[in-house]
Parts: sequence; C-alpha cells; structure tokens
Amino acid sequence: MNGKISPRETAWRVFSNELNSSSLEIKATEEKMPSYLVSPLGAKINRVLVAGTMTEKSNSGSEEEPMWRARVQDVNGQFFLNVGRFQPDALAAMADIEPPCFVAAVGRVRAYTADDGRTFVSVRPERIVKIDEATLNEWLLDTAASTWTRMKWMREVVSVPDAKVPDLIKMGMSPVQAEGMLYALDNYGSMPDSAVYLKTIQNALRRLLPEKEVDFGFPDGVEDGPDEIDLDEESGSGSGQTHGQMEDIILNLLDELDTDGKGAPRDELERRAEAEGISGIELEEISNILMDKGLVYEPNLRYLKRI
Amino acid sequence: MNNTELTPHIEEIKRVLGNRIDDEQLEAELNKYLNDYHVDITAAKRGIIRKYGGADTGFATSANASKKVADLTGTEQNVDVTAKIVYVEAKEITVKGLSKTIVSGILGDDTGTASFTIWEPGSVQLDKGSVYNFRNCYCKLWNDRVQINIGNRGKIEAANGVEIEVPNTGASLSASDVKIGDIREGMGNVNVTGKILSVEARKINSRGEEKVVYSGIIADETGKVQYSAWHDFGLKEGEVVNAKNCYIRAWKGIPQLNIGDRAQIDRVDGSIDVDEGASVKTVAEVTRIGGGLDITVEGVIVDVKNGSGLIKRCPQCNRSLMNGLCTTHGAVDGVQDLRMKIVVDDGTGAIGAILNRGDTEKVTGISMASAQGLASARGEGVATRELTGRILLRKVRITGNVMSDDYGPSMIVRSADVVETDIQAEAEKLLAEVEGAI
Repeated sequence: MNGKISPRETAWRVFSNELNSSSLEIKATEEKMPSYLVSPLGAKINRVLVAGTMTEKSNSGSEEEPMWRARVQDVNGQFFLNVGRFQPDALAAMADIEPPCFVAAVGRVRAYTADDGRTFVSVRPERIVKIDEATLNEWLLDTAASTWTRMKWMREVVSVPDAKVPDLIKMGMSPVQAEGMLYALDNYGSMPDSAVYLKTIQNALRRLLPEKEVDFGFPDGVEDGPDEIDLDEESGSGSGQTHGQMEDIILNLLDELDTDGKGAPRDELERRAEAEGISGIELEEISNILMDKGLVYEPNLRYLKRI
Repeated sequence: MNNTELTPHIEEIKRVLGNRIDDEQLEAELNKYLNDYHVDITAAKRGIIRKYGGADTGFATSANASKKVADLTGTEQNVDVTAKIVYVEAKEITVKGLSKTIVSGILGDDTGTASFTIWEPGSVQLDKGSVYNFRNCYCKLWNDRVQINIGNRGKIEAANGVEIEVPNTGASLSASDVKIGDIREGMGNVNVTGKILSVEARKINSRGEEKVVYSGIIADETGKVQYSAWHDFGLKEGEVVNAKNCYIRAWKGIPQLNIGDRAQIDRVDGSIDVDEGASVKTVAEVTRIGGGLDITVEGVIVDVKNGSGLIKRCPQCNRSLMNGLCTTHGAVDGVQDLRMKIVVDDGTGAIGAILNRGDTEKVTGISMASAQGLASARGEGVATRELTGRILLRKVRITGNVMSDDYGPSMIVRSADVVETDIQAEAEKLLAEVEGAI
C-alpha cells in the first residue's frame, strides 16, 4: 500500500502479567509500518493504556536531559516505564510526579529479547498523568473486562479447528483482534494457562468489591505468571557477568575514557572492555542495548558517548 | 513582445474566457506578466485564464491514457473515461468559507461504476442515462473505492452515438434489506424500514429547472441516517415506511440514503422503537461503517493534540488563525475561542474529536475567561497544559457526526460529558459473568 497512512493504533487495556509474558513480536518490515507484540491471550499490541501505583522512579539520564525509569504496580505485577526525550509530553509530566501515587499512562510497548530467550517488555509513555483512585478503579474494571473477553474468545477459537481470520470476524471480532488471536494460538504453542489470568481478574474484582468475598478458587500463593522482570538484573551471557553488570562497566568506562567531551574512542573502549572480560561481540551487544535504552549514542562511527 | 505580437494571444485568451474581459485589460495583464514579471507566454496565458476563472483548455488536447472504470487504480493523474451517467446531482459546498456549487454522482461503463465529482461545473449539464467523454480526470482512492475528479483542467463532452450498458453493481437487482445502523458506503441497492424523524422540502436547481427535494432523518432501532427523496412521496414526520430500492452515497464518509426514481415507498403499520437520541457504538464499529449522524462513543482521552486551548478565529470565515493570520483572509482581528482536539480510545480503536468551547468548559471545568486569565498571567502554554491536565486519560462520552479520512474517523462533537461509571454495579456484573462461566 503506497502512501497509505495507518490510522492510530488502539491502546490495549492489559494487566502487567499479560503484557510482560508476551514474547511474540511482529516486526515492521517497511518504514512507517508499526511493530506489534502479541500477548498470550491474543492482544496484538502496539500501544497500551496502563494504570496503577507508581512505586519508584529514577533518572538514568542527566539533569539536563532526563531519562526516567519508573515502575507501576497494578494487581499482580508491575509495568516498566521508560520516558525519554522522544516523549516530550510525558517527560514534562514526569518531573511533577512523585511516587507513591496513582498514575495512568498511554504509550507504545517495546520488547527486548535476551540471549537466554526471555523477553523483557517495557512501556514508553506518550502521556502520563496522576489519577485518583476512582479513575484507577475504572481502569481495573475495564482491563478485567477486556482480559475476560480475550479469554472467552480464546476458548471459542480453540473449539473451531483451523479457524481463519474471516471465521473469527464472523464471531464478532475485529480484524485486528482476529489476527492477534490466531497469531497467538499458532505461535505460543498452546492455550495459555487461564488460571494466571483468572486470578488476576479475581484480584482486580477483590479490589473493586472489597466487601464481597470474590473467590474463583485460587489461593494467594498461585504463581503469578511470568518472572519478575528487571532490566537492571537481566541474567547475562557466557562471560559469567550479567548484562546489567556489563552495562555498568561499559557506562563507567565511557565516563572514564571521554576525556575531551567527544566521547570514548571505540578502539580504546574495546581494549579496556576486553580487560574487564567483555568480548568484542558482547561489547557490540551491550552498546546496542544502551543505545536502545537511550543512555548512549554514537557521535560518529569511531566514538561512543554517554547521553 | 509588442502589441501586434500580443494580439493573437489575447484572442486566444478571449476565446477561453468567452469575451468576458475586454482587450485593454487583457493586454495590460499580459504586459504585466511578460514584461514586469518576465514570465514566458505559455505560463502567462495560463495564469491569466486561471485568474479570471476560465478552464484551461491548453491541456485538454494532449493525448491521455483512456481507461475503463474497472481499470482505474485511484492514482491516475490524467486519464480519460467514457461513461454513462448513472446518477447526478448538484451540491452546495463550503470551501474556505465561501459556498460554491459542485456536481457529483455515479458514472459507469460496461466494466463497473465509480463516483465522480466535477469541481468547476460552470455551465455543464449532465443528463442521467447519457454517455459522455470525461477528459483529463484525476482519480483518488477513498475507503478503497476509486473516485473520479474533474477539476479545472478537465473537460466533458457528449459522446453522441455511444451506447453503454452499465452492469448493475453488486446485488442491486435484488435489493437487500438492511438495518440503518449497518448502512455503509458502497452498498448497492437497499431496502430500509424506518421511522421518519424529520422531513424538509428544499428547492434545488437541477439541470436548469427548479426541483423540490425532500430530505430529513430516518431511523430504526439500530441508528439513524440522513435521506434525500427525489420525488414527493408525501413523507410525514413520525410515520414508519418501508423504502425499497434506495441507494447509498456517502459525503465525507457519512453515508446517506437516497430515495431515487426507482424507489418505492410503502407505509408500514405499527411503530418502531427508535432511540431518538444518539446510537452508542464502539470505535471499531464506527471505523467499519466510516461515519454517520448522531453517534455516541465512550472512551478514554488518550491524547490532546496541538491546536487545543485558546485560539483566535477569523471573523469572516470562522476558521482558526495560524500565527495571527487567516489562510484565506490574511491579517485579521481574531475572535477569541476555546476548543480541544482530542483522541478518544475505547479499547477497540481510536477516534479524533473536536470539542467546542461549551464542551471544553464543561469537561475541564475551566471557563474561557479563567483560561484567558491564566494565559495572560502565565502564558498560553500553561493555560493549555492546565486544560489538558484536567481531561487527559479521563473517560468521556461524546456525541456528534462522524466522518472519516485517511487518518481514520473523526467527530465534530455536539455534546460531551465526563463519564461517571457505577463501578460497583459494573464490577458485580462482570463477577457474575465470570463465576457463571468457570
């Protein structure tokens, strides 16, 4: 489709455990084509609307050019937020938001898959605001309902052998929903563990209806799905060091080697990293991650510099 | 170029403009273009013809590709089509604050049909059922359908002696029964049963003669749609009718029901439960239909766009000023207004919407006066940020007419409210459903 503008992507209402256990990416193959992350329940996500309690925020950039990382807790997990200079509205808003507080944010999702195959999902808010508890409850309700709808559909779709997109549209799904659903079923290999998501709905309803004894039969101890995700503590590759540790070493080296403000010369950086037990390939990988995170950039091909 | 050399060119311009402008004026114009501005003669002639509103025939003689309707891709810049008029009407539209008349309709050949618009109709008269050569047309794609445009370079001539049989598109031989809420552009013939909510007789000028068109709103339990009846069927407000063999045309994505020559109207006994208010739809449904009247959408304000907040409008055409200037009327003394350009997302899709001053004041709780006060004390940026902060990521219910373009659907909001959800009740409903299913 030449010259066709894609309409704005829908902001999906998903709980953090569904979002964070997503590992299927549909990558853009053309310029201006959006990328998607497909959740185990078939949400084909480019953008999300999330809410919860902001429990912490930290500036991993500089005073002049902040790069905020924040954690937002919903019912059974947390969202990982990164706000940098490419999200000016959210960046300005972050300055005035002090945890703990309730927030809602709309933004694009970003996935990073580590060497061991685990995928880490973060949200880059375009907009973020402080909200009151009533607004948070509204989000919990909408998100619980939307999660439930995806679970119902998934069950229905599984019962139709070899269902194709048009069959699903006939069942009442939109084309995007139908594509996501089939993509999830084809690629996650099996029906997702519904206990995890039912428990999340249960816990959301418990918060909304405190005087009712909402119980779908899941003890509090039930595993809440995906691993606790923390980009800082990613387990790493062959060198025995974690990515997080290597990132810190590289960042320190960059500070040390940037003697004239031009950045650290590549060859020098490579030599010093080698001495720290980080191979050339690992250095390449780590610098890409750091660039993705918006922490470093290449002023030119022979230099790497902290932002 | 001296005056003798200019004469043939002046004659040429006069032929195009039809002797409306006298020689002296044309000579002065040509002199200005050629001698003061050093423009070459071709560009000068074209410029003058444009300036006096003439159609530039200089292009029409060049050889173009000629295509069948079904072969049009929607990207043609210059194409000739020979086709029969299936339907035609004149329309009043507002361009840059000025109203003008255009002619639009449906044309077809033996391969298919397409809608067309003549932007500078002048004295062109098209007769339904007659065949014409449409020259120098350009095409656009709208909702995946080809539209043929005849601009000021275009030319229309009667194709005498050419016979074309237009196939009935889609299921038009046997019109299908549809619910009004499902009406969308590109449908063939339809039968609709609905209640006439309003009827209004309008005099229009069609092919030189005065004609009365009866238009209004017809509705059923699924929605409402604007209709135009081309005969006096004696439609009365409040009655329920079955309209057979109508066809759908869309204007800017808003589908309209046309009760044309072949239509048949029968009165139906009984009544229809019509929600005289707006019909509530999801954004996904609105996107699928393309647009409509009185649609209500409920969702979260996920973004507030540039151009929101305090604005100044042109006192003549009411459009918003850019840096103090009106794009049509130049430097004007702007009139203060307040509006918000928002994006509402309900989880099924996103729709753009414009809130007027009243609704902006209502949903933000900030009056224009206090916004002005804030702006003069701390700057317009602060005022806009304050307005934005009051509504961002809040849930609203908006009602208005929806149309669509390449960027998706958008609504001119007639009323907006912040939604107060009964969370307790809704949560209990969901609880009951989940408990019942597991």
